[in-house]
Amino acid sequence: MPIERLGGRADRGAVQYAILALLAPRPRHGYDLRDAFEVALGGNWLLNSGQIYSSLVRLGRDGLVAEVGTERGGGPDKRIWELTDAGREEVAAWFASAVPRDYRLRDELYLKLILAVVTSVARPGPILQAQRRHLLRELHDLTARRNALDPRRQLAQILLLDSALAHTEAEIRWLDVVEARLDDIRSQPLPAPPERRRGQSRRRADAVSQPPRTAPPSLPGKPSRPSLRPRIATPE
Amino acid sequence: MPKRDRTDTAISVPDSAIVRAEDLYRVYGAGAAAVVALDHVNLVVHRGEFVAIMGPSGCGKSTLLHILGGLDRPTSGRVVIDGIDLNTLNDDALSILRRERIGFVFQFYNLIPVLSAVENVALPLLLAGRRNGRSRTQESDAATRALEWLRRVGLGDRADSKPDQLSGGQQQRVALARALVAEPRLILADEPTGNLDSRSADEMLRLLRKSADDWGRTVVMVTHDARMAAYADRIVFMKDGSIVDDARLGGESSIEDALRRAEAST
Repeated sequence: MPIERLGGRADRGAVQYAILALLAPRPRHGYDLRDAFEVALGGNWLLNSGQIYSSLVRLGRDGLVAEVGTERGGGPDKRIWELTDAGREEVAAWFASAVPRDYRLRDELYLKLILAVVTSVARPGPILQAQRRHLLRELHDLTARRNALDPRRQLAQILLLDSALAHTEAEIRWLDVVEARLDDIRSQPLPAPPERRRGQSRRRADAVSQPPRTAPPSLPGKPSRPSLRPRIATPE
Repeated sequence: MPKRDRTDTAISVPDSAIVRAEDLYRVYGAGAAAVVALDHVNLVVHRGEFVAIMGPSGCGKSTLLHILGGLDRPTSGRVVIDGIDLNTLNDDALSILRRERIGFVFQFYNLIPVLSAVENVALPLLLAGRRNGRSRTQESDAATRALEWLRRVGLGDRADSKPDQLSGGQQQRVALARALVAEPRLILADEPTGNLDSRSADEMLRLLRKSADDWGRTVVMVTHDARMAAYADRIVFMKDGSIVDDARLGGESSIEDALRRAEAST
């Protein structure tokens, strides 16, 4: 059931699902799996044989894959794996389910920006610009890599890079939105906990410490919430 | 200083900079209604660079581009293109410099509707030829060169099409061929993809990239679109009429830093 799968898949990573999918048409050995995985990702996600091996062991323990023999060649023997019936069900359910996305509500950049405003120890403008530079460099590199590919032969890899480009571009747009609204943010109550004296009830502290804000509070040197300001030198 | 009427008498000093903007100030209107579009801007662009100028609308980026290209004059400060101080040129000399040394690409392609693609591209050559009286050989030479540039932008088979028979992306490529045909060293592009779908926009930017990499041009492009700016080697960020940041995107930051240091010490 797709809906249930969404909640239940957190313990199995993309690599394990990829192994199951690659084993669906035919049995393979570990090196073959690694090569097939890396080619599918256009070389953008490289694995070591340890990762493949530990994934196979884990999938074997869960009854989703089974060893069916070894291949003898010039080098060491290669263990060959196949999908079990349970593995076949697992991979079908994976294909039938949506991939949950991380909506970044625990985003470090957001944290940095909001703490710059709350604590007044840094200005948000330079933080935004440093991030913008960084993202534009990424965008530049991704664009160059994408344009070096041949759309008649390497469309699959182009589409992967397009996904990265779209996300990077979206993040740059978000920076523009934040920058345009910095002054509005400053004119609102900041997401900071109420100041409380020991023994004071939370309710009473709320009543005391949340008058509507009027003045921009967060320029360095003009702290409006002295208790939130760490005792360190402010930059500039 | 007396203004010259010819650019080719100027003494060209060997200089790695093709564009030097010094202390550019531009104010529109007067008194209480005065708007400062450029607030003491300095910018150096080196030969072969592909520079994007970014910033929110109204930040002065288009004003800067127009002044760099001699389409507008600064209230104070100066622009030196290829060793020539634009302040020393009268309007005729300025338009000759624009025609010979600068190729322009605008958001709206500005093609002449009654002319075919190849005629539109050949136009700058024919206008230049008029200076000395145009001959039949010059005309056929212009057509040959125009066709060659159409071929380079991927439109060799649309030479006889009128603008209204071409898509927006194709019209903009005709406009780029027209900008390149007189072999100017500098290409100035003002929101060249502002009117294009994303696929045509990418095509346009690849050609601008190629103009710098393969055809040896210097490209300065104004855009508000990060995807397009990412094609450049360097991004200049503007806000409220000033340059607020200048970032190199490729891996040559040490070279650029060395150039800037060398410049600062002279």
